[in-house]
Amino acid sequence: MNVPPLIKTAGITKSFPGVLANDHIDFDLFPGEVHTLLGENGAGKTTLMNILYGLYQPDEGHIEVCGQKTRIRSPYDSLKLGIGMVHQHFALIPNLSVLENLVLGFEGGFILNMKDAEKKLKRISEEYGQAIDPHELIQNLSVGERQRTEIIKTLFRGSEALILDEPTSVLTPIEAEELFQTITTLKNAGKGVVLITHKLNEALAISDRISILSLGRKIAELNGDELRSMDEKDATEKILNIMFGGKPIPECSLVEKTISDQVVLKLEDVEVMNSRGVVGLNKVSFEIRGGEIFGIAGVDGNGQKSLCEAIGGQRELVSGRIRFRGEDISRKSVSKRHEMGISYITDDRMNEGCVLDLSLAENAILRGYCQPPYSRFNIIDNTVVDRFANKLIMDFDVKATGPYVRTGTLSGGNIQKFILARGLSTEPGLIICSKPTYGLDARTVNYIQELLLEESKQGTSVLLITSEMDELINCSDRIGVLFNGKIMAILDKCDATPEKIGKLMLGIEE
Amino acid sequence: MSSLMDMALIGAVMASTLRGTTPILLGALGETFVERSGLLNLGLEGMMVAGAFASFLVGFKLDSLMLGFVAAAAVGMILGLLFGFMTITLRVNQIVVGLGITIFAHASCSFLHRVIFGNQFPIMFTAGQTHEVPLLSKIPLIGQPLFNQHWLLYLTFLSVPVLYFIMYKTSLGLRIQAVGETPWAADSSGVNVLKTRYIAILFGGIMGGLAGAFMSLGDLAFFVPNMIMGRGYIAIVVVMLGKWDPLKVFLGALLFGFSMSLTSALQVAGVKVSPDFILMTPYLVVIATLLIFARSTNLPAALCVPYERGQK
Ligand SMILES: Nc1ncnc2c1ncn2[C@@H]1O[C@H](COP(=O)(O)OP(=O)(O)OP(=O)(O)O)[C@@H](O)[C@H]1O
Ligand SMILES: [Mg+2]
Repeated sequence: MNVPPLIKTAGITKSFPGVLANDHIDFDLFPGEVHTLLGENGAGKTTLMNILYGLYQPDEGHIEVCGQKTRIRSPYDSLKLGIGMVHQHFALIPNLSVLENLVLGFEGGFILNMKDAEKKLKRISEEYGQAIDPHELIQNLSVGERQRTEIIKTLFRGSEALILDEPTSVLTPIEAEELFQTITTLKNAGKGVVLITHKLNEALAISDRISILSLGRKIAELNGDELRSMDEKDATEKILNIMFGGKPIPECSLVEKTISDQVVLKLEDVEVMNSRGVVGLNKVSFEIRGGEIFGIAGVDGNGQKSLCEAIGGQRELVSGRIRFRGEDISRKSVSKRHEMGISYITDDRMNEGCVLDLSLAENAILRGYCQPPYSRFNIIDNTVVDRFANKLIMDFDVKATGPYVRTGTLSGGNIQKFILARGLSTEPGLIICSKPTYGLDARTVNYIQELLLEESKQGTSVLLITSEMDELINCSDRIGVLFNGKIMAILDKCDATPEKIGKLMLGIEE
Repeated sequence: MSSLMDMALIGAVMASTLRGTTPILLGALGETFVERSGLLNLGLEGMMVAGAFASFLVGFKLDSLMLGFVAAAAVGMILGLLFGFMTITLRVNQIVVGLGITIFAHASCSFLHRVIFGNQFPIMFTAGQTHEVPLLSKIPLIGQPLFNQHWLLYLTFLSVPVLYFIMYKTSLGLRIQAVGETPWAADSSGVNVLKTRYIAILFGGIMGGLAGAFMSLGDLAFFVPNMIMGRGYIAIVVVMLGKWDPLKVFLGALLFGFSMSLTSALQVAGVKVSPDFILMTPYLVVIATLLIFARSTNLPAALCVPYERGQK
């Protein structure tokens, strides 16, 4: 190619205390291409992109933008150079409006000109098919809408190179489809896109090139067209082989299990308000028996959060009743329910799941820190805590240098692994897990699904909320479909097809 | 009491409400921007003390009121810079630095006052002059109390809509809100977090200094070390009461100014209640309003949290 690459990194190296996150990485992106980055959790993908975006300075190596050697000292520099980034975790200001978030940083004058900004937004929405209400506050948007705002934000700045760090992990299949359409439009308009993902089918569908990172090094670069000319299964196989270096990938076993007759969780006409003060759940009733995995399908924002929180105890019931092992728990506190054996694993890992400023060890005992065995006479026993945190780290293969690192320094997927490890460690009677495998690499996804099946075989009940159709159908024994806070239908595993569920998710009854 | 006396009393209450409101409002408006940017400036009290002293010293010695006000703004700004350097650049705990600045300002101003003036509390006779606004001051009843006041008082009240505009309609205001809420997201949007916070604290320092200067050169015409009497802290409370919105902060400051003025009026009117109790009322009013209105406050999420890139 004669055109110089939009971005090129040469020998980028970056280490953090105890980890070599990037080890002499050469990476480039040409105009009009989609270059996908794959790699297991903690491989160094986000770190490399953060360096391109000016958030970190490399220890070694340099960056060229359009053929010019450049130093990128801050996101401001990189935005000026036409590089935009959508982070793995949203970089939006919750109490500002969509439009205010779009103009922030490049307002174009002291006095804000919102009229012009709105026009520009309209133009972009039409061009790329990504619409959003400009005056809504970010905190009132669903994750999907937030993601869309992030993407529009980079388009708004006219970035030539776009970095998308796991943009689809929080999207529903339909939203993801829309996003891919936008990416194709961008590509055809001559922009370059770096896509980070853990979903191989996405990578295969859209990439011109695929680079694979492992332990901070770039270990392969594959051609998208070549892979597409292969059988899909072989292509996937090939990528997985490179990514995990032949380490075996646990297969989801379909061993028969027995579901007991005992009803573990029973919801009777449960009604709650959601955080926007509108009806979150509308007379929801169902029951889960011992050893059963009850899946919940639904487009994000149709009451999933309210459901989790109603059972977990974070949200008060307006009416109805919840019984756990026959006992009415509707008025019991969060900690009481936790003691009784209800474990809630949230999907908001950065805010609700853990305290990023605390160490792994401290996060490990957030719920039980004042009880034995972690503390005696209210004095925390550090050796016990240490051992416990270490066990979580080992069991779930969390990439961390030890139990005392700050949780915020872990890669996104590794934080998720840690939260799962903690949630499953207490031998709960009921696990509520929302999007348990979001942001995890293919191998870990299988491991976690296997683990949930294993738990259910031991008699634990699971409420599984997920937007991954495969996960839903493979793991669940029964599936409830949520729409507008109502359970549209409850399907048995044998009649659940993606088409049927998809229709119900949109509120279309048979 | 004759109705003429009533009128006079009402007029006096109005006038003293405005004068009592001004220093608190100045400090609170500055603090509104400071807190919105993620800094809690407990040094405000000290900045007001230093402003009061510096303005009186310079004004009195050089016999220039204008230079006195300039000196107050400059001293406030320097203390703001000190606060900024310690908390933004060195990331020292904001509470500690703020209280440190207040204690330091108190002590050094008392000390310098004693060294320079001995046991004297001289009066600067040119200070405290009021300016009649043509025409408006002729309105019966409210003309004199509202429109025959010190220039800084007018400026302070006029600044409320201006600052409201800056907070919500300008890029600076937007950035200040952003860095106080989610600094790393602001950084990632291309906002210079540290610079924005510095701008906010320098402004807060200037406003604090001027608040002090209004006490010693605008309202009164002398300096005594204890004259600020917690007004800086009250301003911080008012900011919380006003939920970091310049207009609501204005109402909060006015409420406090009014209850202070009412206390003096009650004393003058000779109400038979213990004077100690009367002196307490402004604080009781503030506590009561806080209990009623400020129960669900949305603190800027990054208040008191230093920012360092790469520490999500
Ligand atoms: N600020 C930091 N301080 C210390 N270590 C860090 C920091 N940021 C990243 N790391 C470490 O660098 C390694 C690479 O992290 P990175 O976030 O780049 O992984 P990733 O490939 O994006 O993973 P994931 O798929 O889970 O998001 C991890 O081991 C992580 O713990
Ligand atoms: Mg990552």
